[in-house]
Amino acid sequence: MDVIQQLREQAKKLLEEKKVDLVIGFGQGTELARTTPVFIDSPEGVSALTWGPFCANNLAKYLTDYKNAEGNVAVVVKGCDARSVIRLLDDNQISRDKVVVIGVPCPGQLEWQKVAAEVKPGASLKETADNGESFSVKTDAGDYSFNKKDYMLHRCLVCENPNPVIADITIGKELPVKTYEERFAEVSELEQKSTEDKSAYWDKQFSRCLRCYACRNVCSVCTCQICVFDQMLPMWVSKRTNLSENTMFHITRAFHVAGRCVDCGECDRVCPMDIPLRKLNQKIHKDLGDLFDSPTPGSKPGIPSALGEFSPGDPEEFM
Amino acid sequence: MEARVVNKGQLPELLDKLAKDYDLIAPVQEETVVLFRKISGAKDVFLEYTNSDISPKGCFLPQNEKTFNYTYTGDSIEIKKPEGAQKTVLFGARPCDIKAITTLDPVFEGEKFGDEYYSGKRENTVIIGLSCTKVLSTCFCYAFEGGPCDGTGSDLLFTEIGDKYYVEVYTDKGKALADAYSQIFSKGGEQLAKDKEELAKKLAGEFVRKVDLTGVKELLDNNFELPYWNGDDQKKCLGCGTCTYVCPTCHCFDIFDYPTGDFTGARLRCWDSCMYPEYTLMAGGHNPRPTRKERVRNRFMHKLKYHLDRYNMVGCVGCGRCVRKCPVNIDITKIINDLKEVAQNA
Repeated sequence: MDVIQQLREQAKKLLEEKKVDLVIGFGQGTELARTTPVFIDSPEGVSALTWGPFCANNLAKYLTDYKNAEGNVAVVVKGCDARSVIRLLDDNQISRDKVVVIGVPCPGQLEWQKVAAEVKPGASLKETADNGESFSVKTDAGDYSFNKKDYMLHRCLVCENPNPVIADITIGKELPVKTYEERFAEVSELEQKSTEDKSAYWDKQFSRCLRCYACRNVCSVCTCQICVFDQMLPMWVSKRTNLSENTMFHITRAFHVAGRCVDCGECDRVCPMDIPLRKLNQKIHKDLGDLFDSPTPGSKPGIPSALGEFSPGDPEEFM
Repeated sequence: MEARVVNKGQLPELLDKLAKDYDLIAPVQEETVVLFRKISGAKDVFLEYTNSDISPKGCFLPQNEKTFNYTYTGDSIEIKKPEGAQKTVLFGARPCDIKAITTLDPVFEGEKFGDEYYSGKRENTVIIGLSCTKVLSTCFCYAFEGGPCDGTGSDLLFTEIGDKYYVEVYTDKGKALADAYSQIFSKGGEQLAKDKEELAKKLAGEFVRKVDLTGVKELLDNNFELPYWNGDDQKKCLGCGTCTYVCPTCHCFDIFDYPTGDFTGARLRCWDSCMYPEYTLMAGGHNPRPTRKERVRNRFMHKLKYHLDRYNMVGCVGCGRCVRKCPVNIDITKIINDLKEVAQNA
């Protein structure tokens, strides 16, 4: 039985047995190469569930919407999204007994825009398959193959958790875990630049920011009830977009999720202005590793937040 | 319609001249993103795009606009307004985005609430449109009586035909500009008119999104509350402002003072988004659109009903940006078709 079929059956069972009131999963989107979050509350609705290389969204984001709901919620997660679940649990944002985690080992996700540029417009999706180095995508207008190197989201090319690190139900075969020496290659390259060049690089990026806050709103660990950037009194940043306020926003955001950011890369994916936000977070991940020997947040349950813990052995080079 | 011909080879010369004589705003590419910026000449222009990531609405309604500077002198307040609009050419805007500007006009140039900042720019700007040569899977301008080669709202419309641009003159403003550069805008082009018609016909056949507005307005007129709005769209909406900021017809703004100390400052008007919770938050704490449901409903009611009620124009031009950019694939074409179905089953 294929993954989609198993997914639907498990979801159906959970809803029929009233173990959950809601299943949050991926459904076919309005473009061939896109999925969209679906919220299923009846066993008849499970046929809307799908799975494949177009499931980039991190659905763990929605768990906090239901933390005060009466019933339980099941959520479909990839490896990276599962890190969010752990982080939300460790932050006491959700209770373990109210969430059923349906984990699906994930061989990577394709960038939908790149796929859409190749596929005949208007074609509908028949099936997809992982062929190791590439994905095959069968449509009613022909079959396509997309090699991972060129079409996958960058975050997936250096994926550290293809298998969900937390799951009550696992669907599909476990995938081999690889380690990537080049995981921080882009950040290391940026680190080599002079302070002036680094500043110029980020100035160029931040000056484009529209402050639509998609990066913040998609972030699974942005869980504040009222964000400092939405506060009216005092107004820490105005609605004005300029380099100074945009920089203030991005730097504050990056530091606020430092030690909690699970490196799911969603901020980077959703930015309408293509600002490489993940590089900011990755720099922090790299430093957390180098300075505190801290693994990626959420990659195991109970990892103390590097910035929320004190140990006498911590480096204190700035003191 | 009067027409001219511009050889493609002469376009750089034209753009350089325009940049010298006017403020020239044209599409540029920054990293992977295509957007409109004031440029210094032809070398900066990027025309190999189907639809820009950000629309040129900022030409007339900038994301940040200073309305005046103020200085408190002790017994009075001195107000200093910025200089008036410069003579500007907006070059290379797509037909959907130009149509979008015509939907902003009645908002800012209405008899009741004229807006000098907007109309100053509008009056001083010549819009040179550029017909599309491709249709994206997210495009649906045809659904709102637009088209990839439709010049509505343009002063001049350029259409690429082989090594030439066929230039249609839509307004006197456009004619004056073409006449001022008559060494580049040559007369003639009857044969090209036919080629343009063929291109328009070809592109009209390439739309893949079926959008049918039948019954949607009537349904929304009679039903503010619909169970439909309790559906997945409001559940999956993240409440970011992407759809509204990339939208060429969205025009909400916030006005606030930006003090710079010493009793001086500026009053600014900046884009705002109805998807933000604090957008409708009132003094005292009441929020008439307290949840994502009301906010999502409002956005689509505005596009499909309110704008029609007020100005007899649909508040959407089918550019497809919100469809492409929404992080969770909320899709106005799906909503329109769903509402049509709701109307039919009612």
